[in-house]
Parts: sequence; structure tokens; C-alpha cells
Amino acid sequence: MQFELKNVSKIYETGQENITYGAKDVTLTIKEGDFTALVGPSGSGKTTLLNLIAGLLIPTKGEILHKGESITHMSLEERTTHRLDYMGFVFQDYQLLPVLTAYENVEFPLQLKKIPKQEIKERVLWALEQVGLSQLKDRFPKQLSGGQQQRVSIARAIACRPSLILADEPTANLDSKTSQEIIDLFKKLNSEHNLTFIFSTHDQRLIDQVKTVLYINDGQIAEVKEHQ
Amino acid sequence: MSYFNFLMKFGYRNIWREPKRALIMILSLSLGTAYILWILNFAEAGSKEVIKEFLSQYSGSYQYTHPDYYPAGNTKKFNAFATISAAEIPSEQKINAIPRVVAPVFISGNKKTLGVLLNGTLPEEELSLSKLNSSVKYGRFLDPKNSNEIIIGQSLANKIDAQIGDEVALIGQALDGSVANDLFKVVGLLDFGGGDLEDSLSFTTLFSAQNFFVMNSDQYHQYVNFDMERPAPASSTLRVTTWHQLLPEISVSIRFIDGFTKIVCIVVVIVISLGLSNTLMISFLERQKEFEALNIIGASRWWILGTLIIEVFILGTVALLIGLVLGHIFTIINFYYPINLELFTNGKPMFLGGMLIHPYVKIFPVAKYYWQVSLLIYLFLILSMIYPSYKIMNRGKNAV
Repeated sequence: MQFELKNVSKIYETGQENITYGAKDVTLTIKEGDFTALVGPSGSGKTTLLNLIAGLLIPTKGEILHKGESITHMSLEERTTHRLDYMGFVFQDYQLLPVLTAYENVEFPLQLKKIPKQEIKERVLWALEQVGLSQLKDRFPKQLSGGQQQRVSIARAIACRPSLILADEPTANLDSKTSQEIIDLFKKLNSEHNLTFIFSTHDQRLIDQVKTVLYINDGQIAEVKEHQ
Repeated sequence: MSYFNFLMKFGYRNIWREPKRALIMILSLSLGTAYILWILNFAEAGSKEVIKEFLSQYSGSYQYTHPDYYPAGNTKKFNAFATISAAEIPSEQKINAIPRVVAPVFISGNKKTLGVLLNGTLPEEELSLSKLNSSVKYGRFLDPKNSNEIIIGQSLANKIDAQIGDEVALIGQALDGSVANDLFKVVGLLDFGGGDLEDSLSFTTLFSAQNFFVMNSDQYHQYVNFDMERPAPASSTLRVTTWHQLLPEISVSIRFIDGFTKIVCIVVVIVISLGLSNTLMISFLERQKEFEALNIIGASRWWILGTLIIEVFILGTVALLIGLVLGHIFTIINFYYPINLELFTNGKPMFLGGMLIHPYVKIFPVAKYYWQVSLLIYLFLILSMIYPSYKIMNRGKNAV
């Protein structure tokens, strides 16, 4: 068992007596090898749920555990280190550092972890090979297409060999052909390396190809759909 | 090492994300540094030149006297009975020094009698060590072969109605207890630009003064040293009076100018820092979303702040080095092409302590200012980062 959300609620106070639920009594278990999409209309609470799992938000109620250890009670800096150690992130707008090459962007979290130089090199080259960008490793983000940038972002996420990869609308900025390529890449990484993915998405292609779909509404898991 | 190299590379490349902005920041910081270094060197050299110009006219750098010569340490009063001999002066202190007899007398011309300070001195030594001769605008300087010649200030001559060639009567207290009185021939008039010293000083030969005050040839009041470089040595038997003690008002003025210059420098640095702080603020806020992404990936807020500090310090160090080189070049230029201080007074004469001075300031590099300016710039770089950093840290916290 990897990540566990126990009766997690997140309340946003939007006015003096107005409160909104970003998440409401969510109980969820994320297991190794899961390939799950969070689906729902805008404002339904998908991103809140992702942020809670990532430790970017603290739940108002309930508890989030990783390997039995509570993330909820960690300090800000401890949660940051926890993310670095156990999570990878893929963003809608890639969030690559423009001053670093593809290689250096993938290298970045490994440097933060102060991994030995030789191991960094091996991991970066492995990650870039997985996303098919070995030949373009010396290019800066502005010299890459949107799809290529998202591949670098994925390589950066997998280079640390995380327990969980959180992807927020990873195909939203891509055309349909590139989106499919990226989805195929996610599937390959999930099946070949048993990497765990949680997506927040509106993309029907991605929704159709994940193993589990969690339909979120008003901060609650309204429906769970398993794909064969 | 790999981690450090990565940080440095990251910081360096981030500086050049906006090349124009980086260049403007470097330019403003280097020009500010160059200006501060130059102005400090200028102030130091200026003070030295002004003091040198002033002291070399008459006062000297320091003087040996009998401990009782200035009663209770009051340098405006004189005890003419407290004399010293040449044997009491250390031999190395006789180099660059002039023995003088200095005591108050009354001087009478055709019109009135006034009190002045009679200086008995060695004309040849004055010609080689002081610039007294250059202040004699009418007539001539003292002739060592002639006795009872006197040079007085032009203003004093007008007041007592004495012309060149006239005889004036001097009355004073002789050291044997008698009343000293004699006639002296005016051979020259001093022009101190109409300053106070024109009314209060008169000069004759050492021999004539010793005769007048009934002193023997090895009796003096002062041994005035004109060595401007070395500090005044201490003496267990004699009183050593520096120009700071003799002319406290001049010393205070010079210290005020030095202090004021340093305040101006600090104000310049503060202004540059505020500009820098604003630019850093804009630059950091533009990258806010990137910082948030870095934090999500796993970079702590302190790590992000650390990289920003590295950026600012790389930029600051580059600018500082350029500024120090520029400041040094400007200083060296003004070493070979000294600045006439009258440029700042529209060519009008400058007065200091009642004397007309014409200083040319030969600016020279002062080693201590190079590291002091460096420390100052680094200090204000840190200060300029405080507000932007505070905003970054706080925003990061809100975002997370």
C-alpha cells in the first residue's frame, strides 16, 4: 500500500460565513502500479485532491498517509523533501526551466537530492531514453516542441524513480496526435516499469485508456469506474 | 562539487535570461562603485593636498616646544620664557625642521600700534621647506645677511600705515626681564588673500628675533617640522604639538569634509540599492510561477532563495570588479592629471584657516578603500535582497 487518504476534507473559506469544500470526506487508497484519472467538471475538486496527495495542501480534516507515515503532520520543509523523495510531477504547461537544457532539466531534481555525479548521469540518460529524447538532450526548452517539452517533463518526473507520479492535465496543451503519443508513453512507463500515475484530466482519450477513473463532484468521489 | 557547479551554472544562466536588464544592473552598480572609489580616493588625496598646501605655508606638520611654552596647553597663548635648545631635539627630527623664535609683540607704524606674533626664522630653511616665500607679494623675502628686517601682512601694513622701506617699532618682553624695543625695516608684504593671518603674523630673521628678545643663539621657542608623511613622534622631555592641536578648527573642518564625503557615498549606495532592490523584485516576481513549480518538484523555499542569492552575488561580484577597475583607472588618470580645486570655486581663491591656498589634487589609490567599498557594496547587495526575498518566501508559503 502506498498512499492512503482517510476521510480527508479540505474547506476553503470564501467569505465570512461562506465555505466551499475542495474535498469532502474522501477516502482513497493508491496502490503501486495504479493508473488512475481524476475526472470532473472545473471546480469539482480534482486539483485540490492532487494537491492534498502531494502535500501542497493540508487537509482541514482527515489524514493522508504514505507507507503508514502521516504526511499531514509534516512541516512545510519536510513535505517538500517528501515530494522530492517519493513523487514526480507532470504539469499542463511543462514547467521546464528555460535556462537549462533537456538533460539539465531532468538532472535538476537529482541534483536537489545530491545524488553522486555518475549515478545522476545514468539516471538522466535512462529517463531521456524512456521518453525518446536522447538525441535532443542538449536542446533548451525553447528549441523543443510542446510534445517534446512534455516528454522532458515526464523524464524529469521519472528520473527520481518516484513512488507516485501526479500529472495535472498533462495533455491539455497538446494536439491530438502528440497527446496520444504522450498517453502511450504513460502507458508504457506504467506497464514496463510499474510506475504509479494519477492524472487530473478532461481528455477523453486519456480517460478511456487509464485503468481506473474516479469521477469527482463537489469534492467527493461520486463514481469509480474500472477499465479492463 | 557537482552540486555546487550546478548551482553556479543555474545562477549564472538565470542572470542572462534578461540580458539588457542584467547589463543595466551591472552598469549601474559598477558605475556607482567606480564613483564611490574615486570620490573616496579624491577626498583622501584632497584632504592631504589641502592640509599639505596649508601647512607648508607656515604651520608645519608638528612642532617641538618647551612643555611650558603653551600655558596649560592653550596654543593661543605663549610663554616666551620657556625656550629649548638644539641639543634637546633628536638629530633625525632636525631634518625637514626649522627652528623659530615665536612670541607676541606690539608693532607701531605711522598710524597705530597693534599686537602681532613675531616669528624669528631662518630664511634659507623657509625657502627650502615652507612656501612662506610664495606669500610675499610685494617687496622681497628676508635676507639672512641683514638684521632687523621684517615682513608683515598686507592688511596689517594698511592698518598701521606702513609701506615697504618704512621702519616700524616693535615692543615686547625680553627674556632678561627688560622691555624689548627696536626698529625694524619693512622689506616685504605678505598676501594671504586678506585672511586673518595677514593681521597677526610678522617675520624676521632668527638672529634678529633672538637679539630683540635677548636670547642666546641656541635658544628657540619652536622646532617646526615640515615632514607631512610621518606621524609626530612622542617625546618625554619636550612638548610635541601637532597641527591638529595647533589648528583644531582646520582639523575639524577636514574631518567634517571627510565624514560628509563618506555620508554622500553611503547615500549613493542606498540609492543604487533601492534601484537594485526594485529591479530584483520585478525579476523575482516574474519568475514566481517558476519558483512555485520548483517547490512542487522538491526545491525548498530556502533552496530557491539560495539560488537567488547566488545570482545576485555573481552579478554583484562582476559589477564590483568592473567598478573597482574603472574607479582605479579614473584615480590613476587624476594622478597624472591633477584636479585644480579652484575648478569648484569658479576660479575664486580658496581660504583655509585664514590663508589663501591653491591646491592641485593629485589623486592616488588608497588600498583600504578597495576592500571597504567591496564590503559596502556586498552589504547593500544583501540589504537590497531583503525585501524581494521576504516577498518570495511569503508568497511561496501562501502558494503552498
